[in-house]
Amino acid sequence: MVEIDCKGLACPGPVLKAKEVVETQRPPTIRVIVDNSAAKENVSRFLGTQGYDICVETAEGSFCVIGTKKGEDIKEPLARENTKEAGKKILVFITSRTLGHGDERLGNALMLNFLKTLKELPNLWRIILLNEGVKLASDEGESIAVLKELEQSGVSILVCGTCLSYYNLIEQKKVGETTNMLDVVTSLGVADSVINIT
Amino acid sequence: MGLERADDAGVYLINDDLAIIQTVDFFTPIVDDPFYFGQIAAANALSDIYAMGGIPKTAMNLVAFPINQMDISILKEILRGGIEKLKEAKAVLVGGHSIEDRELKYGLAVTGFVHPKRLLTKRNLIPNDLLILTKPLGTGIVATAVKAQLAEERLVRVVQETMAELNKRAAEAMASFEVHACTDITGFGLLGHLSEMVEGSGKSVELWAEMIPVFEGVEALASMGLIPQGAYRNRDFRKGMVEFAGDVPLWLQDVMFDPQTSGGLLIAVSEQHAQPLLQELIGRGISYARIIGKVLEDPSQLIYVRKNG
Repeated sequence: MVEIDCKGLACPGPVLKAKEVVETQRPPTIRVIVDNSAAKENVSRFLGTQGYDICVETAEGSFCVIGTKKGEDIKEPLARENTKEAGKKILVFITSRTLGHGDERLGNALMLNFLKTLKELPNLWRIILLNEGVKLASDEGESIAVLKELEQSGVSILVCGTCLSYYNLIEQKKVGETTNMLDVVTSLGVADSVINIT
Repeated sequence: MGLERADDAGVYLINDDLAIIQTVDFFTPIVDDPFYFGQIAAANALSDIYAMGGIPKTAMNLVAFPINQMDISILKEILRGGIEKLKEAKAVLVGGHSIEDRELKYGLAVTGFVHPKRLLTKRNLIPNDLLILTKPLGTGIVATAVKAQLAEERLVRVVQETMAELNKRAAEAMASFEVHACTDITGFGLLGHLSEMVEGSGKSVELWAEMIPVFEGVEALASMGLIPQGAYRNRDFRKGMVEFAGDVPLWLQDVMFDPQTSGGLLIAVSEQHAQPLLQELIGRGISYARIIGKVLEDPSQLIYVRKNG
């Protein structure tokens, strides 16, 4: 068991001390003594994310946060990237509801066919839906089922949150992860090639 | 305006067509870059005028500076940042006052104009109004992570830029819609400021936690306990007014109490004007604006936080 005394330390000090001990020693039990309730709560939150069960003892003028490891290290890094990591990364960037600009019915049908055929594209890494493209993930059309299938096969689908808000479609979104411009720009930079559908 | 209920600034009626709004705000540095600190302090001070529906006209600097420990060029950069924001706001710097102090502080006193009929307060929530928040939450948590040297540089940059952004464009967007009440989100956090609106109006509110804009990356920082003490103080003060549904994650509850610096406007707008106003805000480049909740008839003055709408 390891005990650390963090009395007299203001936030984020106690969390930092606990973090250092957890990372270097990985103790099965850790006791952290703090003297203010914000530090008590913060240390509890931190140990909670590190796979410890938490119990707090209150003494006069101080708290002792006790963490006990819940079996083997359960914490795994967030696996968001798909399995095609090793190969080339192809990004399909869709900013329109239809494929091409002409007759709307034709454009809709072509877009659906395009999405259905995307599974034939090797190394398809990510699809980003922006502007009217977000409607492909949120209206009643058949595109939703097709996108869901792609998502299940490991393709990441990002849908612009600002666009969903603008078109009042947040609650209608049925597939993909809501994203922001920072993710969009980063994805464009990380991709080996970008296919642009405007 | 009386003082019995909280509001964003002082208001003095001059005649039937004109009232002045006065406000003052200053604090210690929250970012390392002095030019940014100046901009953020000014954006924060100007914000109260915008939240009340006014237009800032004049401003005065307030400076406390440790002249013996710090180079005067730092002060120059801070003031340059402040002036830059005043220019953007089309307000005039008419003077100021500085003292020597051990700890650096900067802020402004600002005076604005408003037509008395266009004055927006916190006290006028009307049942079925929708609530729009115009900036993401999490600046206090990010500042704590900066102290711990655990904040990603990219996140710090985004937060810094957002804090320096004036609420001017949001205020201009509001002007042509049926807005009933407004405030700006600062030290009491979203739930603290919303509590004041709820108390002032005698209504209740439902919030949809997952709709609330939060800076990307804050979830991880909040989960690991990088929460500023002020967030817990805000929570302890207001917990009697807030009911969280069981499935609202703890980190998001913490974020909703996180004290903000130069946060966004929280706007109560009629149901039929909410979506058009949201589009106007996004169209003006306020891309994080979201509809986050709704005003209820319920007179018990509570805030019910559900996971989604």
